Amino acid sequence: MSDQKESGKAFSKVMINLLKGVMYADEDPKLWQHLLNLQVRVRDYAREIGLSLEISEDEGFAWLKTIEEQGEGEELPRLISRRQLSYPVSLLLALLRRRLAEHDATSSDNRLILSKGDIVEMITTFLPSGSNEVKMVNQVESHLKKVADMGFVRFLRSGKDTIEVRRILKVFVDAQWLNEFDQRIKEYLLSAGGEVKEDE
Amino acid sequence: MSLSYNDILQLFKFHSGWKLLRADSAPLIISFLNKAFIEPNLRSISRSNLISKLEDTLYELRQSENEECYPRSASAYLEDWAHDSKGWLRKFYPDDSDEPHFDLTPATEKVIGWLESLSGRAFIGTESRLMTIFEILRQMVLGAETDVATRIEALEAEKNQIDKQIEAIKNGEVPVLDQTALRERFMQFSTMSNDLRSDFRAVEENFRKLDLQVREKIASWEGRKGDLLEEIFGERDVITDSDQGRSFQAFWDFLMSPSSQEEFSELLQKVFAMDCISSSKPDNRLRRIHFDWLEAGEKTQRTVANLSEQLRRYLDNQAYLENKRIMSILDSISQGALRVKHNMPRNSTFMNLDKLSPDIHLIMERPLFKPNAEIDLSGVILEAEEAEFDSGALFNQIYVDRAELEANIRRELQTVSQVTLCALTEKYPLRKGLAELVCYISIASATHLSVFDEECEESIRWEDSDGRFRRATLPRIIFNRS
Repeated sequence: MSDQKESGKAFSKVMINLLKGVMYADEDPKLWQHLLNLQVRVRDYAREIGLSLEISEDEGFAWLKTIEEQGEGEELPRLISRRQLSYPVSLLLALLRRRLAEHDATSSDNRLILSKGDIVEMITTFLPSGSNEVKMVNQVESHLKKVADMGFVRFLRSGKDTIEVRRILKVFVDAQWLNEFDQRIKEYLLSAGGEVKEDE
Repeated sequence: MSLSYNDILQLFKFHSGWKLLRADSAPLIISFLNKAFIEPNLRSISRSNLISKLEDTLYELRQSENEECYPRSASAYLEDWAHDSKGWLRKFYPDDSDEPHFDLTPATEKVIGWLESLSGRAFIGTESRLMTIFEILRQMVLGAETDVATRIEALEAEKNQIDKQIEAIKNGEVPVLDQTALRERFMQFSTMSNDLRSDFRAVEENFRKLDLQVREKIASWEGRKGDLLEEIFGERDVITDSDQGRSFQAFWDFLMSPSSQEEFSELLQKVFAMDCISSSKPDNRLRRIHFDWLEAGEKTQRTVANLSEQLRRYLDNQAYLENKRIMSILDSISQGALRVKHNMPRNSTFMNLDKLSPDIHLIMERPLFKPNAEIDLSGVILEAEEAEFDSGALFNQIYVDRAELEANIRRELQTVSQVTLCALTEKYPLRKGLAELVCYISIASATHLSVFDEECEESIRWEDSDGRFRRATLPRIIFNRS
């Protein structure tokens, strides 16, 4: 009896945590174990509200995703909303994704940690070179904050200028998303009448 | 390796160990790192910890040498030493910490070891080393022999040898190692043990290099994926099955077996009990060297497991294909992004991305408007008189004599027209720590004759009651005579 109670409580904890955000194995190993044990129940529950449970055991994180209804039948309203991203924020995400891929190819370190300076340097190549550098850095910082709000990067507690790129970024900024981004840039180039040279 | 002119030139220019020897501040770096890492046998030190150690060292140096030497801050030095161009420290983030940690690189460790060997040993034992070499050769020849007859022959010969020895002892001839031979062997034991301990850094580094090679191979692989997997995995695990991996595993298995641990401890104890050894004051750390090995070995073991796991993850089916595709799309995006650089899309929505989780806001969870309640204090009367205790105890924790500090300032201003707080505290060191500093600040703010210069910062140091150095950074405070 108490066993059942216990597992019921664990299930609720798992579910609530998932609804609140990505669950990381290393943040709470015990809860992660519960999740793995209770997978089937969690999946069933999530399906009822139009969500599917995704687990990446290798990477050690789990999250909920909207089930895209295909074919007939009335569509459920989306529980997880979409976030609208401006161009620079989208670009920042793409560049961070590249950093992550390069990091995996060249380092045995699991965590990708960058300084704010690294990020500014990485993106300034793609931003118009204005005269006001301070303003530009501030802008990059505000973009970065947005990315942090989304949960893809995390400011480290130790140094205020150090950032960890969370590996969940891999899942969301995937080939499909990047492809779409690429297409939109191309469309934009066509509609905006092509590029503008610096000296014009 | 060959030591041709070009090889040496290469080492001279690029080897971080040699760079360390050539560095102007080599005495500082090497002595400090030796004290911080090698002496206590530490494998990683957190940044803040290492900075405070270095700060103390720098402070002492500036006191004893001169004020101007080593002008940079401790953190700047550490960053510099860990930079790729130097490579004397390895900076890394442990999985469970947000703070960077530092460890020595094998190159630095080698330099320290080499410098130590320069100081010359009392005598160099040649005999015991020759014996060791003989023993190794014998092991190799015998161990590689597959012919049964030869093996039995060798064992027979050994048996005869032992029989002869037993016979000799029975007849009263007991051969004993003399003191020189014992000391010589002990010295060899101590060098080899210490070497082994320091080898772990190099072993780990080798593992990391191996891992990197594999990653590079994967990243640049052009052929079919099946071939790649075959090439890399074949029938073995690249890391644990390398020479390095096997040797390490065998070492580890031997060290971990309870019987060999027991035997080792027992042997050590007996050796340390010998008169000629204990009288030569051996390094006591050697007594527990096998625990050091265990500790260092365990860390290496974890690194290997980690590397294997991450490599496997990297090779994961989908990730591999997706990474290739992603890189080519990213190239295209970069090109596009460069072309729109001066005419960036301004609209607030360029792309969409699912949030990581649903936003659940329940209307009832929003707090209702609540007027700020004013707390009526008039009715509360604090009756302190009734409580009988000496409130002086609260104030006497640290007593700072304000008059004395004011006198210090006045005395100083008799010879000069103005003096900074920093200069003042150098002449009259803070004895009550922060409380005294605060008192100075309050004196400064009470008189219009002092200036707070917000543009400049000053560091003020003092030694607290535990003998540790503390430092406060504050705007420059200047006391003026008039």
